[in-house]
Formats: sequence, structure tokens, C-alpha cells
Amino acid sequence: MLMLPELIVIAAGFIILLLDLFLAEEKKNILGTLAFAGLLIALGRTLFSFGQQGELFGGRFVVDSVAIWFKIIFLLAGMTTVALSWDRLTGKTTDIASRMKHRGEFYTILLFSTAGMMYLISSRDLVTLYISLELSTIPLFVLVAWDRDNPLCGEAGLKYVILGALSSAVLLYGLGILYGLSGSTDLATISQKITHSPALWLSVAMITAGIGFKLTLVPFHMWAADVYQGAPTPVTAHLSVASKAAGMAFIFLLFYRVLGGAFQEWNILFAVLATITMTLGNLVAIIQQNIKRFMAFSAISQAGYLIMGFLGPFPEGLPSMLFYLYAYIFTNLVVFAVIIFYANETGRENIDDYRGLSRTNPIIAGAMMLGLFSLAGIPPLSGFVGKFFLFSVASKAGFHWLVGVAAINSTISLYYYLRIVRQMYIEPTMEDATTLQISPMLAGTIAITTLGAVFFGIIPFFYETINQTVAASDWWSVITATAR
Amino acid sequence: MKKIFLHWGIISGITMFFIMITSVCTAETNLVTLPASPGVGFPILSLMVFSPLLGLLFACLLRNGHGERSAGVATLLSSFVTFALGIYLLLQFDLNHYGFQFVEQVPWIDIFGIQYYLGIDGISLVLVLVAILILPSALAATWSTKEKSWQFQVQTMLLQIGILGSFMALDAILFYTFFEIMLVPLYFMIGIWGGHNRIYATTKFFIYTVFGSLLLLASIIYTGILYHETFGVWSFSIIDWYDLPIPASTQMWLFAGFCLAFAIKAPMFPFHTWLPDAHYEAPTLGSVELAAMLLKLGPYGIIRFVIPLFPDAAHVYVPILIIFGLIGITYGGLVAMVQQKLKKLIAYSSVAHMGYIIIGVFVFNMQGLAGGLIQMINHALVTGALFLCVGMLYQRTKTQEIVDYGGVAHSMPIFACFFLFFSLASIGLPGLNGFVGELMIMLGAARMNIFYAIAAAFGVVIAAVYMLWMYQRVIFGPIKNDMVRNLKDLNLREQLVLIPLAVFTLVLGVYPQPFFDHVNTTLEGYLKQFNAEEFQQQHKFDLAAYWSLKQDK
Repeated sequence: MLMLPELIVIAAGFIILLLDLFLAEEKKNILGTLAFAGLLIALGRTLFSFGQQGELFGGRFVVDSVAIWFKIIFLLAGMTTVALSWDRLTGKTTDIASRMKHRGEFYTILLFSTAGMMYLISSRDLVTLYISLELSTIPLFVLVAWDRDNPLCGEAGLKYVILGALSSAVLLYGLGILYGLSGSTDLATISQKITHSPALWLSVAMITAGIGFKLTLVPFHMWAADVYQGAPTPVTAHLSVASKAAGMAFIFLLFYRVLGGAFQEWNILFAVLATITMTLGNLVAIIQQNIKRFMAFSAISQAGYLIMGFLGPFPEGLPSMLFYLYAYIFTNLVVFAVIIFYANETGRENIDDYRGLSRTNPIIAGAMMLGLFSLAGIPPLSGFVGKFFLFSVASKAGFHWLVGVAAINSTISLYYYLRIVRQMYIEPTMEDATTLQISPMLAGTIAITTLGAVFFGIIPFFYETINQTVAASDWWSVITATAR
Repeated sequence: MKKIFLHWGIISGITMFFIMITSVCTAETNLVTLPASPGVGFPILSLMVFSPLLGLLFACLLRNGHGERSAGVATLLSSFVTFALGIYLLLQFDLNHYGFQFVEQVPWIDIFGIQYYLGIDGISLVLVLVAILILPSALAATWSTKEKSWQFQVQTMLLQIGILGSFMALDAILFYTFFEIMLVPLYFMIGIWGGHNRIYATTKFFIYTVFGSLLLLASIIYTGILYHETFGVWSFSIIDWYDLPIPASTQMWLFAGFCLAFAIKAPMFPFHTWLPDAHYEAPTLGSVELAAMLLKLGPYGIIRFVIPLFPDAAHVYVPILIIFGLIGITYGGLVAMVQQKLKKLIAYSSVAHMGYIIIGVFVFNMQGLAGGLIQMINHALVTGALFLCVGMLYQRTKTQEIVDYGGVAHSMPIFACFFLFFSLASIGLPGLNGFVGELMIMLGAARMNIFYAIAAAFGVVIAAVYMLWMYQRVIFGPIKNDMVRNLKDLNLREQLVLIPLAVFTLVLGVYPQPFFDHVNTTLEGYLKQFNAEEFQQQHKFDLAAYWSLKQDK
């Protein structure tokens, strides 16, 4: 029963694949409902399994509270992506160019990718870990290149697949060295056997590079801007949250469970990566004109804040990262939902095109503003609370300079997030602007994600729930047991 | 419709005035019957902080169909509710109790020991009272301007929540939250309803302030972690932090982090450049709130956080900060002298006034601190009133240029009276409140080093020059053009707004004792807390001793 959520997702994927063959085009709306329902049932099952722990296949597949928190993220991201792509796939958008075809395949591939991510966080073996990472990544290559008539989209897909393959190869080399050093593919055994050696350093460097690709850490971020811009916007939204969370899951497993107590020595690596990631992401975001490219660099800088939680390591680190991840996916999805809404209705994707949105659609502009302010870390929104936790971890680890750098970077980020707010609220309305109609699916998504973005920060017990449940997992005892 | 607002103005002015006067007079007699533990049976501070939500809600609900006036009525009404609660607070305040009163404590993020923790002492009390007096005045004064759309009213109410919350918060993270909440409405106020160059001004204001406050956040986190390492429990409560021994070397950094944020907010001399732009571009209400309340958070933060937490570092930094304050006084005054625009002139006069307050706060004695505090109140009342006056003028003429005016006294005699009154108060004419504050600050400064007081005294002369010269150019002389000739004098509403401010200016100047009664106990306890007297002795420059030493040689 432990694997039930994954099995439900995969089953839903196969059912959609089969039904897609037999259903007439006008009846295909049911596919989207099915995909959403599958993810929702899996989510319900996952939520229901809180407090359960167990393993399958001789400890190769483990469910614990950390895994459950990550799975909820993946499932929420999947559901939101289904909701965000609904209008485009059903052809209800005013802007014809933004419509997408082949919805059966779209949902199937999305569900497979989600299942891969869910397997990833439960794996305790190098082979299953790598395979589930590929299961989550390869479908994304397809999704990015979905709109095959659009040259930008094709270019994005090509870039993503080439760089993705490269990073996968590098990662695999790193894992291979790890296997060579320990003679085992089991994470627990490896953590017992590894000793300090140049080969270990090489392996860590390669793993970091491979995962840095998924997490968009600088200098492995090169693909992000083009891919985010070229991909269909719902896919971009999915990439920016789910793919990033998967990278976090992978890096969590390898660094905490395998390298464990020896982790302190990589503190400086993460501090430097965090510094350059957030600085470069922020500085380049200032000059962007296309809002999707802009969000790419914003996502890069957010990844820089996110990995600050690895410093230490402290028992607060993982809950802080998880909290920030939740805050981040909700706020980021608010922004993407508004971007998709605006592109659906007008086909416009430039920052200047948002002129006067607050006067034509005040509520949507308000939601967008809340999302942007939360990303910038204005209290009491959830982004601020998340940043507070992460800064605390970094400060506790003794990296006060990093907290200073992060504070300065937050100021810079505020400048460019304010650019959009300024366009919406201060600049005059466009000549041909009228009040835009919003579809119920997008309205619901915006409402729910906005509520999440606002209330996670104000309601205190969410972080405490994470903290308490995560403490039930053995992740911290693994680190302290192998500390040397 | 005009009648409605007229009645509003009358009722508001009269009630505010009487309630305030009676409360100040009766505060002492009430003392006897007060219970031993300060506080009332209900969470009055939370009610006060969030009472503007009432106005916000109604402004949103009434936005359609009823015209924009009803939103204005809603916000004005809710600001009266806040005001009434404030008066009740004043009546219940225990003058002899050192420490925080009406404390409300609820865990917020329990794992990190972050609490929803409100409470006030004498210092916060007077600032809160000014905040609740200024807002209805500003709302009533800007009643018939274009800035009264419901969106604007919503921003006003949010701003008030942030201001009140910051003055009451006793938890560093809660303080930071309110401190930041304030920025957003002000960003929109300047950005949407501001002048020609508003986007530049609002962005500069926002970035500048947030830069300071993020360093503040980093410093707060560091202090919190230090507390955790020392005592083994998490706490972000300021009162707990006062017991925290911090190594002197660490204090230097933390002092810099905290002080920079508050110096930008104040603004202290080298960090003041955002202020004139923001003031000039802001709509009248924004300017008033900015000058009267937001700037006060700088000195307030220094009093509340910086000095008690990092006394050793303050020791080292004090001479530099006082020098900056002195430069601020002189520089602000000199730059104000050459300004061509009314609002910019008053903005630079703010820089000079804040210099006095900084000096008062950092001389570490009763006179200086009490003077700094009363000067904060004075500056709020007087500069707020001056911005209101300029706003009233601007609303009629749509020009800020001093050269466009001349001979306004002929067409607007009542206005000229009020304007003169507040200009003189700003200069520090004896008998008006500015004099009391500046005198006490100079007394305090003289106790530390006589040269500080002498240098500060020059600021008064400069203030007289720029204020009177401006006044002369605008108000006196022959009528310059048709625009001035056709000006209408202040109507009843505008007079009723200015009268309470003028009365307080006068009362505080002639008989400031009620004010000192309210803050004395707090300040005495405050100064004892970090051995201020001893501290001051070390920095003292004794002129007589110095002089006799020289003669001996």
C-alpha cells in the first residue's frame, strides 16, 4: 500500500493514454478531468499516509514523512499544471496561437513525469534513484517542445534535451565513482563505507554539477532562460516548481543520506554556489523584457536562497527548505497563473504589456502583486517567513556574510519585481485595454494559490507541522550517526 | 453633499480637541483609582492597530455606486474609532509604572520563539497619540482633492496599521513585519497619486528603505541566534534581548546593521537623499504621514533597539553619529535655504530637524532624550501642519514654485496666520513647542560637550533664515499675479483641521509638563538600564576643567 499514490498516478496515465485512442475529439475533456482526479486521489492517499513509515523491496523504496512532504509538492505542482493548461488544451483561449494540441499525450507525459519524481524521493538506491530521475526528466524534454510549430519552442526543446543529457551523463559518472568507492548501490551502505579521497571529491563535484542543472544553480543555469521562454507557459510553470523540487529531493538524498556527517566540509561550496546563483540571477533579471525569461532568472535567484538551507547541517535546515519550497511553489504559481491568463487572452508576454492591468482587472492584478511581493520577501507574506527561516539557518552556520549578501540580493530582487507592479499599477492603461474575462479554472487556481501564498506566512502552525513530522523521519539520525 | 463634510469637519475638530484636552488634564487625577497591574480587560492595543481595517473594509465595500465620498467617510470614521481607543488608552495609562503596559502576548511561530507581542511604554504612548491625531487631520485636510479615491483610502488605512503596529510591537520580527508593511502603501501613494517624477521618487524611496531594513532583518536574525546560543531558548522579544550579553566586537557589527536601517529611515545626514524626492512627489497626505510618522520610526528604533542592545558599540559610534547629526542640521538648513519649491524646502528642514533628534537621542541624558522625544512630537505636529498648509495652497494654485507666489497675505489672511504660526514653531520661537525641544536637546548636548550645543544653536539661526525668507517671499509683498489675487481663503473645514494642531503646538510650548509626566518614568528607567550617567561621564568634555588646565600651563 505504500506505493499506492505512485501506482494511482501511473494507472491514470495509462488509462488516459488508452482512452485517448478511442475517444472522439469533442469528448476528450474527460481526459483532463481524469488526470486531475488521478492526481487528486493520489494526493488524498498521500495525505492520509502521514505518520506511516515503511519500506519495500528490501529497503530500496522507503516512505517516510520527508518523502510524503516532497510527494505533496509534486502532486500539487502536477494538479496546478493540469489546471493551468486546461484552457489552452481545450481551445478556449482568445489568443489562438497559445492553444495547445494533443491533450491525451500531454496528460500522460505529465503524469509519468510526476510519478518519476515521486519515486525519486522514496529511492534508497543509486540505480532506482537515477532511473526515477530520468523518468521525471525525459518527459519534461517532450513537454518543453510541445508546440512543435513554434521555432522558439523547438529550440527550447533541443537545448533542454542536449544540456539535460550532458548533465545526466555527468551525474551518472559521479554516481559511478560513488559505487566504485563503496562497492554498493545502497545509500546507507555507501554512507558507511566512503572515506575521504580525491575520488570522492570528484564524485561530489560531478553530482553537484548534474543536480545544479535541475536546480538552475549558477554556473549550470545556461539553459534556463531560453527553455523557460520557449516552452508553453504551463510547462514553464511546471519546470519552475516541480523540476526544482525534484532537484532538491535528489540533492537531499545524496548529500544528507550518503555524505551525511561529512557534509560540513561542503558548506563553503554551497555558500559560494548560493552567492553566485542569487547574485547572477538577480542582476540579469533586471534587464529582461520578456516576462517568462524574467521569471527564469527570478527562479534562478530563488534557487540560490533555497540551498542556503543546506548549510550546517542543522535539524532546522530541512524543514526550512521544505517550508520555503512550499511558499515558493504557491507564490510562483500565482505569478505564472496570471501570466498564463494574460497570454491566453491577449497573447502578450512582455513586461510592458502589463500596463494598467490594475485598472482593467484589479483583483487579478492584486493577486499578481501579492505573489511578486511574496517572492521578494515582503512580510507578512509566506516568502518572507521562508526567507527568514533560511537566513536563520545560514546565520546559525556562521555564514553571516552570506546573510548580508542575501539581504542585498533581496533588495535587488525587489527592484525588478517592482517593475511589474509599477507597470500594473502606475503606468497608464493601454489604449485598447478592456476588462478581460477569466476562465473559472484559472480563477480558481489563482484564488487557491494566492490564499496559500498569503496564509502560509501568517498562520504559524504550518512550519511547526513540517518540523514535527519531519522529525519523525530518520534523516537527522543518519547524519549524526555518520558524523566523523 | 458639501454640508455633510462640513458637519464632519466640525464634529471631528471639536470632539478631537475636547477629548484630547480633557484627557491630558484628567490623566493625573485618574491615577489613584487605577489597578496595580497596568492593562485593561480587553486587547486594546490589537484593537487600535487593526481598527483601520474597519475603514479599509468599508472603503472597499462602498466603492461602487455611492461615489467616492462614502469611502472617505468610512476611513475618516474609522480613524476616529482609532482615536477614541487612543484616548481611552491615554486615560488608562499608568504614569508611575516603569516598563510596558497593556501587554498582549500570543505565540506566533513558536519554534523560533516568535510572538505576537504588543505593549507600550511612555515613549510609544506619545508617538501613538500623535499618529492617531495626524491621520484624521490629514484625511480631513485632503478631503476635496483628487487623491480621495477608495484605492487611496485603502492605502491610507494600511499605512496606519503599519505605523501603529511598529510603535507597539515588542517582538523584533513583529516589529520588522509592521515596519515593512508600511512601505507598500506608501510606494503606491507616491507612485500612483504623486507628481510628475513620481516613479523615480517612489522607486528610490522603496529601494533605499528596503536595503536598510533587510540589513536590519539580517541583524535581527543574528541577535536571535546569539540569544539562542547564550540561553538555549529561542526568543525575539526585545525585553528578553535586553538581558543578552553581547561581546563588544559583535556589537560593532550589529550596531551598524541596526543603525543603518534606522538612519536611512530617520533620515540621518548621508542617507537622506531619498527624502526630498519622496516628499516632493508624494501627494499631500503621503507627505504628511511620511514627515510626521514614518521618519519617527528611525529615532524610535534607535531608542528601542540600538542603544539598549548595543551600549558598548554605541560608546564608540556616538561621537560620529552626533557629528552626522550636526552636519545634518547645518547642511539641511543650508540646502533648504536655496530651494525653489515649497515642499522641497520643508523636506530639507525635516533633515535638519531630524539632526536635532539624533543628537538628543545620542547624548545619553535625561534632557537630551526627553528633548529628542518631544522634538519628535513637535516635528510631527509642525511639519505635518506645514505640509498640510502647503497642500492647501497647492490645491488652489497647482504650483510649488516659490517665485510664483507673493502677496498671498492679501488674498488669504487666515492662511497667512496659520502658516506664520507653524513656520515660527518650526524655527523654535520661544513659547511654541519647537523651542522646548531644541532647548532641551541643547541642554543635554551641553552636558556632554558644550561645542555640540553651540554648533546645534547655529542651526536655529539657519532655520530662521530659510523659513522667514520663504515666508516673506510667499506671503508678503505686493500681489504678484492674478493667480494670487483670485485665491480663496481657507474654508471652515481647513481651519478646523489646523486649529487642533495649532493648539497642541501652543500647549506643548507653554506648558509641556503633561508630556513630561507621561514619559519621565519610562525615560528614567530606560536610562538606568544601561548606566547612562556613567556612560555620559566618559564622553563628557568639561570645558571648565579644560580651561583651568590651560591656564595652569
